[in-house]
Amino acid sequence: MIWEVFRQEEAGDRHTHCGNVHAPDREMALLFAQIQHGRRMQTNSLWVAPSDEIGEVDADETEFGGTTDKSYRWAITYNQIDASFAEEVAESEAEQEEAAEKRGDV
Amino acid sequence: MAQPVPGDLSPVEAQLLRLADDEYVLAERYTEWQIYAPTPEADLALANIAQDEFGHARLWFDLLQDEFGYEEADLLWERDPGNFLHSPLVELETPDGDWADTVVRSYLYDVAERLRLDALADSSFDPLADRVRKVQSEEGYHREHAQSWLDRLTGGGGDAHQRVQSAVDRLFPHALTLFAPTANEDEIVAAGVRTRSLADVRADWLDEVVQYLESLDVVVPDPSAVTRPDEVGRDGSHTGDWAALHEEFTATYRELGFDDPATLRSENA
Repeated sequence: MIWEVFRQEEAGDRHTHCGNVHAPDREMALLFAQIQHGRRMQTNSLWVAPSDEIGEVDADETEFGGTTDKSYRWAITYNQIDASFAEEVAESEAEQEEAAEKRGDV
Repeated sequence: MAQPVPGDLSPVEAQLLRLADDEYVLAERYTEWQIYAPTPEADLALANIAQDEFGHARLWFDLLQDEFGYEEADLLWERDPGNFLHSPLVELETPDGDWADTVVRSYLYDVAERLRLDALADSSFDPLADRVRKVQSEEGYHREHAQSWLDRLTGGGGDAHQRVQSAVDRLFPHALTLFAPTANEDEIVAAGVRTRSLADVRADWLDEVVQYLESLDVVVPDPSAVTRPDEVGRDGSHTGDWAALHEEFTATYRELGFDDPATLRSENA
């Protein structure tokens, strides 16, 4: 049985997929994952989940973000101000601009 | 500096050597599973445990060097095999491909290790007590590893359960030597190097080991009825398996030829 392993570097970080382990059950998966995925990298926490239990939808099956121009959805409310005073606003704008460029909207 | 000789050690030296030799020799046996363990995951886990045990051996060997003036070669590479003090439990050759043997040995050893580290945590010899805590934090994984395997090997009945039972029958008499005294055991306790006697530690070990193994439907031999092996390790006496292992782990040291060492880009390289 294959267990997908997700590693968190520091408390508060997201758990990020980092690989998998073969194990007969959850307890053994956690035991093995500690060595295989938590030993060399800084690790605060590991999750394991059975591979079979993970659902997937990919770009062959759907159009992520739709196919039409969605730039009207950008959260740019105050165009004339420097958004750097609020990190999350600046990040959100940058992310959305980048995504739009990748889709070819802009 | 001469190499350590079993009958001629201070209490602290004797205690440190018992610890160091047990860890070092067990790690050598674990290492033999490299690339042969049942799965890649099992391989990595056991390799990691072996590295931990080598690391612990290093802590104790370092103390012997720092505090008593031994050289590394006195303690390992040039020490006479009859001057090692480890329990024969850790030196026994693993029956070919018998994972249950390794798991049982690890369990019997790791429970004893936890109890003895607890008995050393308040050692009168501060450098020893200081290092105990470092080791304790890694030993938890070793016990969890051994018990997780034992639970599963015995859970399904059949061949695996039988192999565990055979390993217990074979290893248990040797495991009792973990608690055999060195020549100066009385001084070790009197000087507070270890705060509990081996007999006390052994009683706790028996309680725990018997209760757990019986919960898995594994029969534990009656210690008083067990035929005791002649070799007890702590006095330098060892089984036939030890000579070959000693020969093997010192081979590279001898082959390197330290009288005429090779250096990179030189004639002898």
